[in-house]
Order: sequence, then structure tokens, then C-alpha cells
Amino acid sequence: SQALKSLQVNLNLFRRLCIVKGIFPREPKKKVKGNHHTYYHVKDISFLQHEPLLEKFREIKTYQKKVQKAKAKKNEELARLLLTRQPTYKLDRLIRERYPTFIDALRDLDDCLTMVHLFAVLPASDRENLEVKRVHNCRRLSHEWQAYISRTHALRKVFVSVKGIYYQAELEGQKITWLTPHAIQQVFTTDVDFGVLLTFLEFYETLLAFTNFKLYHSLNVKYPPILDSRLEALAADLYALSRYIDASSRGMTVEAKADASSSSQSNDRAESELRLAQLQHQLPSSEPGALMHLVADKEVEEDEETRACKSLFKDLKFFLSREVPRESLLFVLPAFGGTVSWEGEGAPFKEDDESITHHIIDKPSAGHMYLSREYVQPQWIYDCVNARIILPTEKYLVGRIPPPHLSPFVDNEAEGYVPDYAETIKRLQAAARNDVLPLPGVGKEDLEDPQNLLYAGVMSRAEEAEAAKTKKKMAELEKQYHEELKKEVTGSAVDDVAAAPVVEGGDGEESSVPDAAQIAQDTADMPTLMMSRKKRKLYDAMKIGQKKKSESVERIKQRKKNLKADQ
Amino acid sequence: MTKKKSEAANEDQTRDTKKKSVSAVKSSQKEKPVLAKQVKSSKEEEDLLLDSATDSDYDGDSLSGSLNSDDFDSDVFDSEDDASQKETEGGDKDSSEDELELHGNEDSDDDDEGEQVDSENDEEDGSDEEREVAEESDSSEDEVAPRNTVGDVPLEWYKDEKHIGYDITGKKITKKEKQDKLDSFLANMDDSKNWRKIYDEYNDEEVELTKEESKLIRRMLKGEAPHADFDPYAPYVDWFKWDDAIHPLSSAPEPKRRFIPSKWEAKKVVKYVRAIRKGLIKFDKPEEEPNVYLLWGDDSASDQKSKHLTYIPPPKLKLPGHEESYNPSLEYIPTEEEKAAYELMYEEDRPKFIPKRFTSLRSIPAYENALKESFDRCLDLYLCPRVRKKRVGAHSIINIDPESLKPKLPSRKDLRPYPNSCYLEYKGHTGAVTSVSPDCSGQWIASGSADGSVRIWEVETGRCLKVWQFKEAVKCVAWNPLPDFPILAVAIGQDLVILNTELGTDEEQQKIEELLRLGTLPEQDEAVAAIVSWLPDETYGGIKIKHFKNISYVDWHPRGDYLSAVMSAGETRGVVIHQLSMHKTQRLPIKMRGLPVCTLFHPTHRGMFIIATKKNVRVFNLQKRELAIKKLETGLREISSMAIHPGGDNLIVGSKEGKMCWFDMDLSSKPYKTLKNHPKDITNVAFHRSYPLFASCSEDSTAYVFHGKVYSDLNENPLIVPLEILRGHSTSSNRGVLDCKFHPRQPWLFTAGADSVIKLYCH
Repeated sequence: SQALKSLQVNLNLFRRLCIVKGIFPREPKKKVKGNHHTYYHVKDISFLQHEPLLEKFREIKTYQKKVQKAKAKKNEELARLLLTRQPTYKLDRLIRERYPTFIDALRDLDDCLTMVHLFAVLPASDRENLEVKRVHNCRRLSHEWQAYISRTHALRKVFVSVKGIYYQAELEGQKITWLTPHAIQQVFTTDVDFGVLLTFLEFYETLLAFTNFKLYHSLNVKYPPILDSRLEALAADLYALSRYIDASSRGMTVEAKADASSSSQSNDRAESELRLAQLQHQLPSSEPGALMHLVADKEVEEDEETRACKSLFKDLKFFLSREVPRESLLFVLPAFGGTVSWEGEGAPFKEDDESITHHIIDKPSAGHMYLSREYVQPQWIYDCVNARIILPTEKYLVGRIPPPHLSPFVDNEAEGYVPDYAETIKRLQAAARNDVLPLPGVGKEDLEDPQNLLYAGVMSRAEEAEAAKTKKKMAELEKQYHEELKKEVTGSAVDDVAAAPVVEGGDGEESSVPDAAQIAQDTADMPTLMMSRKKRKLYDAMKIGQKKKSESVERIKQRKKNLKADQ
Repeated sequence: MTKKKSEAANEDQTRDTKKKSVSAVKSSQKEKPVLAKQVKSSKEEEDLLLDSATDSDYDGDSLSGSLNSDDFDSDVFDSEDDASQKETEGGDKDSSEDELELHGNEDSDDDDEGEQVDSENDEEDGSDEEREVAEESDSSEDEVAPRNTVGDVPLEWYKDEKHIGYDITGKKITKKEKQDKLDSFLANMDDSKNWRKIYDEYNDEEVELTKEESKLIRRMLKGEAPHADFDPYAPYVDWFKWDDAIHPLSSAPEPKRRFIPSKWEAKKVVKYVRAIRKGLIKFDKPEEEPNVYLLWGDDSASDQKSKHLTYIPPPKLKLPGHEESYNPSLEYIPTEEEKAAYELMYEEDRPKFIPKRFTSLRSIPAYENALKESFDRCLDLYLCPRVRKKRVGAHSIINIDPESLKPKLPSRKDLRPYPNSCYLEYKGHTGAVTSVSPDCSGQWIASGSADGSVRIWEVETGRCLKVWQFKEAVKCVAWNPLPDFPILAVAIGQDLVILNTELGTDEEQQKIEELLRLGTLPEQDEAVAAIVSWLPDETYGGIKIKHFKNISYVDWHPRGDYLSAVMSAGETRGVVIHQLSMHKTQRLPIKMRGLPVCTLFHPTHRGMFIIATKKNVRVFNLQKRELAIKKLETGLREISSMAIHPGGDNLIVGSKEGKMCWFDMDLSSKPYKTLKNHPKDITNVAFHRSYPLFASCSEDSTAYVFHGKVYSDLNENPLIVPLEILRGHSTSSNRGVLDCKFHPRQPWLFTAGADSVIKLYCH
């Protein structure tokens, strides 16, 4: 409230300013007013005080008063006139201020993307002041982002969870994770303050727009992309966008080459590429910088992982059935080098295309089956992407319950529990790694090839043997440990037994050794006595955390055992 | 009835045109009822049906709801058409006449026409005349007045009556029989014209709208003039003839403003012109600036330091684990029992996310908490204080191994010897052993128990040498620290008994007996005499010093002549010092604050006396008789025991909250180290006389042994290392180990347990 007073704003405005300026409370060294207050830094507040946006907000407020006055006086004409000339504000300067470098912006993009993707699927609502325009803007931005990621093959991990689909991309060394909700109508909940959300969204929209601009600029594509209206109408925005990027960047290359040789021809050729590409000519592409940039771009793409991602689905052609989540797959498959089509208008190729290798279907049973292709469930795609190999499709065939979908974000070893399927995937990965090098391509045929399979099998067996060896070693160690423990326990038991008769009164040769485990425990606890209180509390908290973790792992193992026992 | 009539009228009309026998006046008069009747007629049923089909947007329900039938009647017929209007103007006065005339007319017409209609008419007439009259009047009088004459009164007044009002003749209009609701509903459903029917509750009848009427209503609903032919924008015909007027309407002279250009307007125009020239007013809309541009041109600006505070990037959200998958492994899904258990938990303890399994991608529902979680994240982003966590090495503090937090302690092996295992148990007491005390040679150990016995044991063998039995529980026993005076001070209730243990040589025994013989007692102060009296002990031949309160603690001076007794309940008089050789007692020369708990004589400095009250420890110099030299602030809640290092500079204090403080008295009055080692009260603490060891024992039936090395170099802090936790005593009646003492020579520890056992721990 002190801050409010000094800024002379109301709480709402203050919150808004804080959100767009990215100002958060700080933990002071000494809480003067007690624990239940939030403390802002004085510098932060004075930073707000000098914000031009504050003036702008005040201006808007007074302007609103004017409009209201006009309305109250039934001066509709004036009110309308005033409304057309409302003062507006821009957030670009703030973005520059908050994120001085592009990397900074990318680092904080997680929340931004999640929010924009969420709002892209929300229904516009009058009550919540959520306009259709904004929802569309969100959708557009998210598609642009996805198109870029998919084009540069920067996508790394995908995870379908109950909450939505998590994607992780790597851009300029920053891992960006975002969550897109499932493409089902979202519902509004009442316990949410939409004002706050919309303020955040406002900032995020601007941020994402600028980020997209920068990214598209790096691809030499004109940013507010002009899309094929036909595809747009078919709600295949993503596809349209990727087409656009393809076309324009291709136009660029052609143009650049032509510049080197002869400039006159290139324009015509580029024009014939696509009508979208026409817009590209205005761009200052004739400068040598463009070429350089392109080359640089190519070099950047030679990143190991990107190449791996790019070639995962390289020779495969996918067809999406009507009921699969099209947007997600249209994003994921091209990102890993696959070609996609779908059921519906505007699709690049039809269902009866002979060259389709995989048909993605999410129905209990497929109607007409082509023998030349495999019918798999969409989870197969995601699992392949996470494993970075083409997994065998048997488990994912139509109508079967697919194997568990595992999170790619978990470090199984650190977690202390490795699910079965993770092991299988690991083995397959190892097998693939070994046979990829001698044999080009990891196409489906390769997997089907019995010899190859055999080879893979051998490899996997070898791998397994190795794993078994290590496992045995581990088991041995464990056994040893257990034995020791047991010995201790029994020893202590013996000692106890021995100690019992001792208690006669006073023949002094026996020494009652207390519980061995107890002693071990004591020795471990000894140093904790000497810790300062702060450290000790920290230590205790850590111990509790570790215990919880191990407990949950134990629980999972127990459940697994139970399940096995049931079967 | 009406139907037939209208038919008749229609025929009549046609005949009118054919025959032209009826006069013009009559025909015009006749037209009105015909039209009126047409309203009620259902002759154009088929047409209307078609109409309803085409005008499907027109809703019967809304009509009946929005229009009151009374209003409707009057309004509609007012503006029916010109003819009827004229009729109402003309025929309002003699409506009854009209009616009669009409009646006659019709009759005659009917007669003219043929018998069939007539006969039917007659039949109906015969069936109920009254009704006929009423209907007749209704049909003809529609525009003029409704059938019911009650006027604009609430119909509730007639709710309980059998009639609904009165007709023009004053007869009661009886209510129609009410139809069963179900029946009426069914009838309505069956009737395709139902939407056109309106119940007129004022007249208690159903009115069916005709096509024209429905059109009319539609027009009115639209806000147009009811009649289709009415033109609201008809050209104005001026009734005033201007041409041949000689005089002006007003004789006022023409005002000036009519013929000079307006000054204000000119000013305004000039203003606008200027504004336009200056560019203040723009006619074309401002061009839309591109709202996105290359914000981050190149990252050369990255070196730029921002002027304001460092930005702490928000922590990223936790990445989802296997259990959040839509199709997790089966073992991640909690069983039904576990789910039920979750339900019983508190809201906070309940896991935030319960894994679910969907066998296919298409069956995943929308996540209902998506918005909520997003909102929570937003709140976190802008309302939570952010702190940069300290980083230890490459890891953040969260990821470090907790073991690394533990301080490095010297190996215990290097600090040997120390007591670590139970070597002997001394059994024989029947109550809790409250106190033990080894003699200075280390050969004997005395113990006092709650059963009132005092025993002396041989340390090496555990043999019980002597037993004294008292009536009350023994609080405290203490050997005289002089080796040639093997006497024992025992605190029993209010008495402090000095016992001759009869150990040692005869020479010594003689000395002791001499000492213990109470001859003539020296004169005491009155104040001292009030609280202490010296008596010979009859039973065991020692000295009994009777105090006025229960004694809780006894301590010998290292020289062996003086002996202090603490009476916790004695408050300011709670500490007394007895001089054995003089058989004399002194009160403490200093005023005490708080309840004394424990006292100590300084081991090296002769006159120094340390008193622990419940909160603080004070050091006095008895010789100088001055105020406390030093006050040690323990910060503990309740001190229970205290022990001093043989060097005399270090002191440990045990408290009832399980904490132990180490004071370096030269260093500060604050504890050098506070150890919270026991979960329950510390009952006693002890220093070893020669080894760098100290111990604490507690009600939780454990005893801790520490290494406590004090360096002779004053700059070096004492080294404290926990060495061993000694267990073995069992808890009885919520008490654990009550006392612990070190062997004077060996690194052995005696512990006295409430389970009536004394244990000897050896290295």
C-alpha cells in the first residue's frame, strides 16, 4: 500500500504495471513489518514511477472519464467519436527493456508459449472480456511459432500428458518447454481472475510476436506471413505457414543464386514459385548479407542433434486419419522430416496414395486397409520422436492398447526407478545405434528385413548380456550389502541374547554390545549434533525430501509387484 | 352458429353484387358485420394453413403471451379498414338498432335464400336462446364493447363465482366448463391451428385469429402501422393557401441574422482551416504502423548493463514425470484403496495429481484445471518474491548431497579412549537410582536410590559393600573429595546426613570419628539457626543436618571441608554452606535471585562459587562478598544440571529441554556452543577429571559422551566432538538415566538409571 500511495495508482493498475514491467516482490533482509507483508524494492518502485506507461495509463483513465461523461449526457455522437480516437500504448519498449538480448527473451518464453497456446483454444467470451480477435491472434502466433520450430527441426521432445501435450524445443542453446492443451473445447472456471490473465496475455502476445519476427527474420522470411487463404479457411494454418516458409525461403535461395549470376531471370522464376513469394522481392535480399546469412544458417543447422531430428522420419510418408490430433501431428511430423497428409480438403496427397508408408489412426479398427502401409496409433509417433529411433510398430497397431507412454523429461536413473518399457526402448536404441552406421537409413523396410532384425537382435542380445552383467554386479553388491546388514542384525540379536543372561549382577567380563544398526545410525547422526541450527534444519528437510522420494519409488515398485502377482 | 351465419353473409354478399337489389346504404351497413364475422370465420382455413406454413417465423406462443386479447380486439377493429371505421363513427350511437336491423336483415336474407340454412338456424335458436342472444350481441358488437360488461375489474373477483360477468342485458354470463388440463393439452396438440388460438379470459372464450389478424399483429410487432395500406410518410398537403395572402403572418421586421453571415461560424471555419493547415486535423486515417519489427537487431547491446536491479528469471515449471502421461505404466496408477485414502487426507496433504490412464489418444478429455493452473502460475510470477538461491559449486543448494552439509569431525578412533560399551551392571536397588558418586580413589562407588537405600559398591567387581536404609528417598549422594576422609554426604528429604563409610585405615577412621562427633555446637546466627540445625544421627552414627526445606543437591568443596546444600524451594535462603570441621553453617552472603538448582565450587579458584538458578548461572566470590562476578546467559528454559571443567574456565550446563550449553567463561557470557542432543530432559552432565571427556544423560534413557578438549592456548576454541551414544538403560515410569559420573582415573562412565540399575561403561 505504501507503493500504491507513492505511485498514486490503484491496486489494479499497480498489478498491471508490475506484470508488464516484470516487477516482483523481493525478499528483504529484514522484514520490518513482519512476515505477512509483501515487500517491493524501493528501486523497483521508483523504476515504475518513471515509467512512461504509467502516464499513459493515467491518460487512458481520464479519457475513459470523458467518454463516460459524453455517454451520461446522451451525447452518443461525441462518445463514438471519442472512442475511435482512444489513446493506445505499446509494449515493445518494455520487451526490449526486460529482455535486452534475444537469448533472454527465449529463456523466459516457456510461460509465454504455454499461455498463448492455452488461449488459442479458449472460446471467446464476452463475460470474461476475451475477444475473438485476441483468440485468433493467439492462434496465429502459436502457429507461426510452431511453423518455425518445425521448419528448423528444433523440436526435441514431445510428451502427451493428461494436461496436454508438452513440447520441448532447443533454440540457441535454450531449452524451451511449453504445454499445449488438447484440442478440445476448454471450459472457463470461475475461480480465476481473468483480468490478471489477460494482462499477462497481452504482454506475452507482444513478446511472442517480436520473437517470431526475429526468428522469421533469421530465416529471411517476411514476418507477418501472408497465407494461402484457401488453406487458412480450412483451418490448416500450420500447413499453410510451413508451405509459406518453404516457398519464401526457397524463393530466397533462388533469388540469391540468381543474383550471383543473372538477376533478371530470377524474378520470374521466383514469381512462378508461388504468389506468396512475390512479396519476398521487396525484401532487401540482393544484399550480399542475405547470402551470407543463408550460408550461416545452413552451418548452424549442421548441429548433430538437428540432423538426427531432421532425418528421423525422412523417407516416410504419413497419412492422418480424421480422428487423430491433426494440429499436433502436423507440427511434429514435419519437424522430424516426415511428409504428412490428412483426411479432408487441402491435403497435399490423398489417402489412396501408394507411397504412404504409415497411416495414423486412432480408431478401434480401420475400415479399408492398404497392405502397403502400416496402420499405427499416434502414440507411436511420439514415442519414436522421444526415442529418436523408429520403433517397431507391432505394439502400436490399430485396436491394441499401446505400451505405456513415458515422459522424456525424466532421468530414470536419478529417479531410482526405471519402467520396463524404458528399458526396452533403451535396448532398441542401442541396437539402432549399432546398425545405423553400417546400414544407411532406418526405414521400415530395414526393420522388417529379417536379417537385419536378426542382427539387431544379436546386438540387443549383446547389449542385454552387458546389461545383465552390470545388473549381476549390482545385485552382487546389493547382496553383499544385505548380507552385511543381516549379519549385523543377527549379530546384534546374538549379542542381545548374550546380553540377556549377563544381567545377573556383576561378573564383569561380558560387554553388551548394543544394536549394530543402532550404532551405525548413531555414528551417522553424530556430526549432525555439531551442525548449526540452520544447517540442521536444512539437512532435515533434505532428508525428508529424499525419504519421500524413495518412499514413492518404493510404492511404485510395490504396486508393480502386486500387479505381477495378480497376473 | 357463427359459421353458418358467415356463410350466409358471404352468400349474401355475392348475391348483393349479382342482384344489386339491396340499397347502397344497407349494403354498406351490411359490409361491417360481414367483415366482423369474417374475423371469426374459419372459412379460409386452408389458406391460413398455408399461411402458417410459409410464415413459420411467426410464433403463436409469443403472440398469445404478448398480446392481451381484449386490447387486441379493440385495436384491431379500430383500424380494420376505412369502411368499418366509418361504420363505427356513424353507427356507434345506435348499435343496438343496427344489430336489430341486421338481425332482421339476415333473417330476411336467410329466408330469401332457402330453407336449409333457416331450419338449422332455428334449431340452434331453440336449443339455447340465451346464448344465442349473447352470441348475437357479441358478433355484432365486437368493435363497440365486449360481451362482458363488468368493465376493467380484476377477474380474480369472479374467481369463485359461477359466472364471469354480465352481458348487456344484465344476465349472468356463466363460465364454461373447464376442460381437463391433460385433455386440453392433447386437444391443443392435435389441433394444427392451435397456435392461432387465444383464450380471452375476460369473455371466457377462445378466439381464433384469422390470417388478416395475424398479419396485423405481425405488423404491429414490427412497430409498423397495423394496416398495410397506411402510409406514414405521405406527402404533406398544406391546408393553408399562401398565394393570395396580402399580409404577412408576423409583422415583426426581418431580423438581421437572416441576411448577414454568421461571425461565429466564420470564426469556427477559420479555426478549422488553421487546424487543417497545421496538421492537427487529419482526414485520412493514420497509417497503421507495423506493430512488430526487429526488436533485437544484433546482440551487441548485450554488454549493456541495465541500470536497475538484477533481474531474477522465474524458475521454470517442473517438467512432467511418467505419472503425468496419458498412458502411464500400470504401476503408476494408484489402486482403489489408495485413492480412497487420498480422499480422507487433508486438502494440503493430498497429492496434487492423481495419475489416470487412457487407452487411446482420442479418449483424453479436456483438462479441467488448465486455466486454473495457468492462473496460479501467473500469480506466482507476479506475486511471489524471488530470491536467488545460493549456489554451492556447480549445483544449486537443492541438488547438493545432504551429507556434505555435515561438518567434518575428527575420527573417533583418534579420540580414544572413551567409554563406549557397558562393562558392568550394579544391581541391588529396588527403586530408581537417583544419584551415584565415585570416591576419589576410584575404588568405590556410592549410590542413592529412591527406595531410601544408600549403597557402596566395589567398582571392579560390582560387589555391594554396604547398605544403609533410610526412610525417605535419597536425593543425592556425594563422596568427600579428600582421599583420607572417606565420608559420604547423603541428602534425604530435609536432612543432610554425613555418613562414615568405615573404609580406609584405622588412623583415618579415628580422624573421621573425631570429625563426626558433635561436641558443643558453635553459636550460630539466628537466621541460620532458623533454617539449619545440626544433630547427631542415631541410626548410623553420623551427623544429621536438618534443613527447613527438602534438599535437592549437595556438593563438596574440593578441599573437603565445606559442603553446600541446595534447597530448591528455599528461594533466597536456598543455598547454605556447611563447614564440617567447625560444625558450622553459613548462609550465602549474597542475595540470590531465582530458584537455585545447582551449585559448584570452583575447582581451582578457592573462593569462587557458582550457582545455577533456573535461567542463569552466576559466579560469586565468597571471600569478597560482593555481587556476582559473572552472569552467564544460557538462553535455556530451565537449567537442570551443571558441571565445570577441571581447568575451571569451561562450564557445561544441561537443561530440561534437552539442550546442553558449553560456556567458555573467559570468552563470553554467551554459550560457546549449544548442542541439542536429547529429545527429553537432561538430568545430569559431567566432566572427566583428567581425560578430555564430558557426558550428559537424559530422561530418554541415553547418555552422550563427548570429547571436549580445552587447549591451553587461549586463542584456540575448545574442540567438541560427539563420541558415543550410550544406550542400555530402560525407561521406567517415564524416567531414564538419572545421573552420570565419570570414574576419577579411568575413562569410565557410571550411569544411574531409573530402572534401578547402575551401569559402568568402559572403553
